[in-house]
Amino acid sequence: MTENIYINKSEEVYDAIVIGSGISGGWAAKEFCERGLKTLMIERGRVVEHRKDYTGENKTPWEQPFRTKVDNLLVEQQYSIQKQCYAFTDATKHFFGNDRDLPYTTAKNTNFTWIRANQLGGKSLLWHRQSYRLGEFDFQANKSDGYGNDWPIRYKDIDKWYSHVETHAGISGALDNLENLPNGEFLPPFEMNSPEKSIKKKLAELYPQRPLVMGRTAHLTKPTEMHLSQGRVQCQTRNECQAGCSYGAYFSTQSSTLPAAAETNNLHIAPNSVVHSLIYDEVSNRIKGVRVIDNDDLSEREYFAKVVFVCASTISTTQILMNSISKKFPNGIANSSGVLGHYLMDHNYNANASGDIEGYEDEYEKGRRPTGMMMPNFYYKPDSKRNFLRGYALAGGAYREGWQSTQHQDGLGVDYKKKLKEAGKWRFGLYAQGEMLPRFENLMSLHPTLKDKWGIPQVEFDCRFSENETDMMIDAAEQAEKMLKAIGLQNVTSSVSHGTPGLAIHEVGTARMGIDPKTSILNAYNQSHDIPNLFVTDGSSFCSSAVQNPSLTIMALTVRAVDYCVKEMNAKRL
Amino acid sequence: MKQNQDEDNTVNDESRRNFFRGLTMLVGSTAATVLLTSNSISVAMAYSLQPTSLLNAPVFDGKVFSLLQLKKLQKICAIVIPQTDTLGAAEVNTHGFIDNQLFHCYENSEQEQMKALLTLIERVSNQQFSSSFTALNSKQQFDLLTDLDLGQNNFNAKQRTDFKVLKRLICFGYYTSEVGASKELRYLAVPGGYKGSIPYKKTDASWGSQGLFY
Repeated sequence: MTENIYINKSEEVYDAIVIGSGISGGWAAKEFCERGLKTLMIERGRVVEHRKDYTGENKTPWEQPFRTKVDNLLVEQQYSIQKQCYAFTDATKHFFGNDRDLPYTTAKNTNFTWIRANQLGGKSLLWHRQSYRLGEFDFQANKSDGYGNDWPIRYKDIDKWYSHVETHAGISGALDNLENLPNGEFLPPFEMNSPEKSIKKKLAELYPQRPLVMGRTAHLTKPTEMHLSQGRVQCQTRNECQAGCSYGAYFSTQSSTLPAAAETNNLHIAPNSVVHSLIYDEVSNRIKGVRVIDNDDLSEREYFAKVVFVCASTISTTQILMNSISKKFPNGIANSSGVLGHYLMDHNYNANASGDIEGYEDEYEKGRRPTGMMMPNFYYKPDSKRNFLRGYALAGGAYREGWQSTQHQDGLGVDYKKKLKEAGKWRFGLYAQGEMLPRFENLMSLHPTLKDKWGIPQVEFDCRFSENETDMMIDAAEQAEKMLKAIGLQNVTSSVSHGTPGLAIHEVGTARMGIDPKTSILNAYNQSHDIPNLFVTDGSSFCSSAVQNPSLTIMALTVRAVDYCVKEMNAKRL
Repeated sequence: MKQNQDEDNTVNDESRRNFFRGLTMLVGSTAATVLLTSNSISVAMAYSLQPTSLLNAPVFDGKVFSLLQLKKLQKICAIVIPQTDTLGAAEVNTHGFIDNQLFHCYENSEQEQMKALLTLIERVSNQQFSSSFTALNSKQQFDLLTDLDLGQNNFNAKQRTDFKVLKRLICFGYYTSEVGASKELRYLAVPGGYKGSIPYKKTDASWGSQGLFY
């Protein structure tokens, strides 16, 4: 990539503006550029160059001042929210937003954890890389039970776009031939360890409707020629992904979509450009461009384009739309329906179960597999006999304990040291990832008075898990415990916790798609019902959360939307 | 990392600290940290990250602990994870690590909890043996800490729990040190792929490398 790809001021009217450079923004830019459109990607944060800016990568714990932990003072002043993320460590902290500059509020008696990644690449640098297609039952779920609006698309509409993104991104997985977790274009799956193989087999005998499969993940287990040509090589299983990967072995904007976009010479990037609002022309009913505030010096500037894709991540996208006020759209642009900000969802991780595995003392793993096992949602068919709607997946795996478990034992001295040196017992655990219903009353809005340092109204959340989600977690803990006992694990325990939304970092909804412009923001191609040259293709467009991790679907929706948009542009309909 | 056992280094380390303190007063700690890019110097501001002598005898008050408390903690580290065919927790300055880590990454209440634990150990040592803990012979020290570890004789369950906290700090400090992670355990920075099953026998070391997640 050349230096002059980055711009600051520009009078040019681009073919397309893409707001955001994360998973959806990277894909939008790549697809536009490859179709020959002059594209401007706007990123609110700093530039992160592949390899060069992975400053925490490959550092041993003893090379880190607090051995992977982060100084209290820094956490208190800058990362009081972000620290809650499991991936927040000394090696990754610079890829998380600075909470001091990113305030938000929550309604009384509610909590929402908003994880931020405001730099080039966004959360594609920090994601957990689990990659699953939604199935036909997922697209029908809202229609089946009446919660939320019907997805305006079905599986057949997105199938080939999943294939498109999988092939380029590189998704490892097995062809499991499951009814509601469709196969994809997979690189080979990661191996199971011996206890996992055995558990999979036992479960298949006892629970044939509940298969356990290898987690599908955006890692190059066997890179193709195309991946190699991008400078991406095989995953080395360091499991230090969120620090950045110079091998390019996991999908990120930097490793995958950005180099493809840059290669076309159609891409420009405006970093440090915090989008304030969209510039709307009421006469033509088109978005003309984007008003941004400089991240550093707070000066204002504008960028212009024929079409605008908002890919800023669920909450930020809706914040931008809400802050784009005009006479025609006093409550946020493209919000004639009034549902903007509503139907906020996340996933619910509030149940788990685990137990000890007997045997396998003469076996061990080598390498740090960056994925685990997954038992896909087995409740995907509606059943009125259950006391809750929708379902959950169970994810986990088998591992052999080390010093972090054995350290709790009694003992001192030579014997204690010897015990801690050895690999401990094998354990197997599962945790739930539950669907959250789309509910009108779970929402985000703009605070009436509070603003951030860029002068943009702060987001206020009013979002909570309902009884449906709680009941689902009780069931998940019970079912997981029952299964682990049935397959002969020892000392099986389960628990239900009470975490609040946000921390799954699977926030979706708030600018949903739909057939009816009166009850949705976007049509079946992620195009605004109200304004033809405005598209939103990130998680905010989801009608339901489903159970699967959302990123792969965000990618597929994005490329599908670009394909449609360019065809519409060529047909002079935009 | 070198296992530098040169006694002179203790002196060097002291001078580094003084150098750093002087520099800090001149330019402020943030700027000083930036200026001191040499690893051996910049880490000296906190505590001796590199073991500088076999004994690592504390010579200053720490950030949380007094000099006397640090010496006691050093002894406790040596008893919990002693030197065997690899160096132990005291030899890799786990006591210095704990002082620094408690100061930077733990709450005040947790710092006080650990200070109180050291005071308790001293008090019981005095009651039982009429002697300071550091002056006890090795067996007496081991037995006293065993009582504490099990919450028996002069110690109760709450005190036992506090000691487990300290043991966790010692283990974290030791097994994230270069010696602990890569000499006592096995450290694979770049595994090169995942194998679900390799042979293992009881005396083999477990993995000291855990990616980001310690």
